[in-house]
Amino acid sequence: MTFTEQMVRSGAQGSRCMDLELTSDQLLFHETTVRFIDAELPMTKVRQLHDDPVGYDRGWLGKAAELGWFAMLVPEEHGGGSVSGAGLLDAVIVAEELGRRMQPGPFLPMNIVAAALAEHASPEQCARVLPGIAGGEVVATWCVSDADGNWDGGAGVIAVATEGGFVLNGSRGYVQDAQSADWLLVVANVGGASAQFLIEASTPGVVVVPLVTLDLSRRLASVSFEDVRVDGSALIGAVGADGALERQLQIALALLCAETVGVLDAMFSITVEYSKDRTAFGRPIGSFQALKHIMADLGLWLETCKAGAVALATAVEQRSAEAAALAHTVAAYVGDVATDIAQECLQIHGGIGYTWEYDLHLLLRRARSNSALYGEPSWHRERLCVAHGL
Amino acid sequence: MSDTITNTSSDLDAYRQQMRDWLAANLPARDPHAGLRAAHEISAEQLAADRALQKKVYEAGYVGITWPTEYGGQGLSGQHQQIWNEESRAYAVPAPGGIASGVTMGIVAPTLLAHANEEQKRSWLPKILRGDELWVQLLSEPGAGSDLAGILTRATQDGESWILQGTKVWSSGAMSADFGVCLARTDWDAPKHRGLTWFKVPLRDPRVTVRPVREINGSAEFCEEFLDDVVVADDMRIGELNEGWAIANSMLGFERGASRDPGAVRPKGGGIRPIAPDLVEIARSRATLTHGHVRQLIAKAHANDVMHELLTARVVSSITKRISNPSAASYIKLGHGILQPLRACAAMEIAGRTGIAWSADVHAHGETAATNYLNGRIMAIAGGSNQIQRNIISERLLGLPREPNFDTNKPFREVLRTARNWGTKGE
Ligand SMILES: Cc1cc2nc3c(=O)[nH]c(=O)nc-3n(C[C@H](O)[C@H](O)[C@H](O)COP(=O)(O)OP(=O)(O)OC[C@H]3O[C@@H](n4cnc5c(N)ncnc54)[C@H](O)[C@@H]3O)c2cc1C
Repeated sequence: MTFTEQMVRSGAQGSRCMDLELTSDQLLFHETTVRFIDAELPMTKVRQLHDDPVGYDRGWLGKAAELGWFAMLVPEEHGGGSVSGAGLLDAVIVAEELGRRMQPGPFLPMNIVAAALAEHASPEQCARVLPGIAGGEVVATWCVSDADGNWDGGAGVIAVATEGGFVLNGSRGYVQDAQSADWLLVVANVGGASAQFLIEASTPGVVVVPLVTLDLSRRLASVSFEDVRVDGSALIGAVGADGALERQLQIALALLCAETVGVLDAMFSITVEYSKDRTAFGRPIGSFQALKHIMADLGLWLETCKAGAVALATAVEQRSAEAAALAHTVAAYVGDVATDIAQECLQIHGGIGYTWEYDLHLLLRRARSNSALYGEPSWHRERLCVAHGL
Repeated sequence: MSDTITNTSSDLDAYRQQMRDWLAANLPARDPHAGLRAAHEISAEQLAADRALQKKVYEAGYVGITWPTEYGGQGLSGQHQQIWNEESRAYAVPAPGGIASGVTMGIVAPTLLAHANEEQKRSWLPKILRGDELWVQLLSEPGAGSDLAGILTRATQDGESWILQGTKVWSSGAMSADFGVCLARTDWDAPKHRGLTWFKVPLRDPRVTVRPVREINGSAEFCEEFLDDVVVADDMRIGELNEGWAIANSMLGFERGASRDPGAVRPKGGGIRPIAPDLVEIARSRATLTHGHVRQLIAKAHANDVMHELLTARVVSSITKRISNPSAASYIKLGHGILQPLRACAAMEIAGRTGIAWSADVHAHGETAATNYLNGRIMAIAGGSNQIQRNIISERLLGLPREPNFDTNKPFREVLRTARNWGTKGE
């Protein structure tokens, strides 16, 4: 049985969203999203894109934009809008399906940048880029971690004020889809404080070096800045952007955790189904208590991830006081169990799970990749302590 | 009176204000360091005083807030209950008999509400709410715990009465209780799940012997009971004859968390839960709060606490909305059963040597950690072990095939014979 057939049988194909309280409009939006993915980029096509240096097709991006994928965190006056009006709660519906169906593309960074600009950019800056993002004509990404993959608050890129602008030097690492981005939202350091600059990727001195990735559908790159000159209008918001970075991290984590939930849900449903089909010693392997008990634990962890991911998206959407701590809490938990669930699902599959042809490893790759993309679990735990004043 | 209280926010505010005044005037403040008192430490005087206090709370209308009025409750909404939960947190709300009170209110009462007949509910439930009757569970036996349907206590019909004979064990709080809900076998020729019936058994009956059992932490929270031809009338039978298994499952569901009022679960965005205060205190007392590995342990415990709370709210709401079947309560139970031992061990790791020895006369954090370590597996065993929860989850939620079984379709008498010869002749 192919992976896609497994998905159909396991019910993962038309499966329920993690948020149990969606409105009928949101459910319709979910249905449209699923239909679009299945028509445009089913697993066979996703695989064909694994060797593509960009990883997705611009035409496809435009079609995805027509469904509103990049408009949900963009204000209406700049061409944005979302189904429910609570943009992030709509965006996590898409994120979850992107995970479940292993989709490539810059959904995550485009939405993070869109939110950042919507919240901090001037009307002129917004007008320059946001309609293009919402329409899928322009690709934007967030350059936040340093070359070693650490959160440095901008220290790795020094921006020096000159007359009428800034000169940037330094580097950013692990930038998603920098290969295909038109705009980079770069976290930098101005006189000891953090700041964000919106820079055209074609600016002289910007060098993008692609990385080889664990997740075959995720493009990451190093970006270096060598005497990159920008004018004053590249600065987004004020110097001293720690609060903005926090907020963008929360949005990133809310989307990422939702995506991971989709990945884990697909893996787990497929594994449970597989264990009912596969026989050994005269019975389905799913009747062996040793495996049943593992799957019961995985089911518990997955349900807990869903509960956490929904709570996080809601808290971030509502800007509740607990959002900061909850982001690290949920990211730490989801990050930990994602790896465990992925590993155990492979174990339950036996040899077939270790083959390139069987799609399980693609999910295994993404589950682990997501557990590091915006901070590994131990990093989140340390930040959680700090958030609580320890 | 209750039908004049509605749910408009001004009514709820008034309700809250009235409650606040009443609490301040009538209940002592809660001592944050006092845990639930161990059952064997509760004197008869203390028990009587706590019961009197519960009656006072009941008469003020704050016990059974959401319960139907015909059974002694107030018939109010979950929001009213939530207000009580919030407002009463700072007060020493009476729990007569400690754990016995928890079992009575959290497990027995909802079971009776669901399965007792009308007459029984009208007669028994108000007494329970008032604190006049404390009930415990008589389920487990020396020979049957996980395999509850394998119990040997027998109930034999004698005219209009029943005669009960057998031994029960691990009954939490039985030394302070008045009654037990007792599962007994009423048909030995039926398959094991189809010959079971529930009875209300008076624990102060001369034919019942209640003996406390000492636990690994030194206290004695649970008991063993010898039922020596105890006679109960047929109106003490709960539910239909030989149909006790369904009630047992429903009761265990309440025990595993299905009974939690969704309104009583902390709402989304309802304030920030402090980070594992118990663990922080231990680390602070050892000046290790800056150590990376200690911070990791603290944050992990806290993340687990928060995530389990979110899981609980999700499961309760999906059962209430019938998105999940009631067996999903096993997720809540298994979560406790896995996380509590981990948390207890984390505390011991942070406590280090202070968790293995302490001075007798000062309060030591290490001692608390050690006690929690000993108690850490309670939720992993009581109320259905982790393994039993995993069986339930895998079979009833994930739809995985059942293990081959050797006991469910034969007369129970035969099952007993076969088990004894297991492996000697091959089954
Ligand atoms: C603190 C505490 C309070 C309690 N309070 C009460 C109470 O108030 N009333 C009451 O009636 N009982 C009470 N109990 C008893 C409790 O319900 C039982 O101890 C529990 O159900 C386990 O049964 P057992 O002790 O007979 O262990 P067993 O059933 O003998 O189990 C031993 C081991 O075998 C495993 N096992 C058993 N069956 C299976 C299976 N099918 N698959 C895999 N593994 C299996 C178990 O998980 C366990 O690890 C209490 C217990 C404790 C510890």
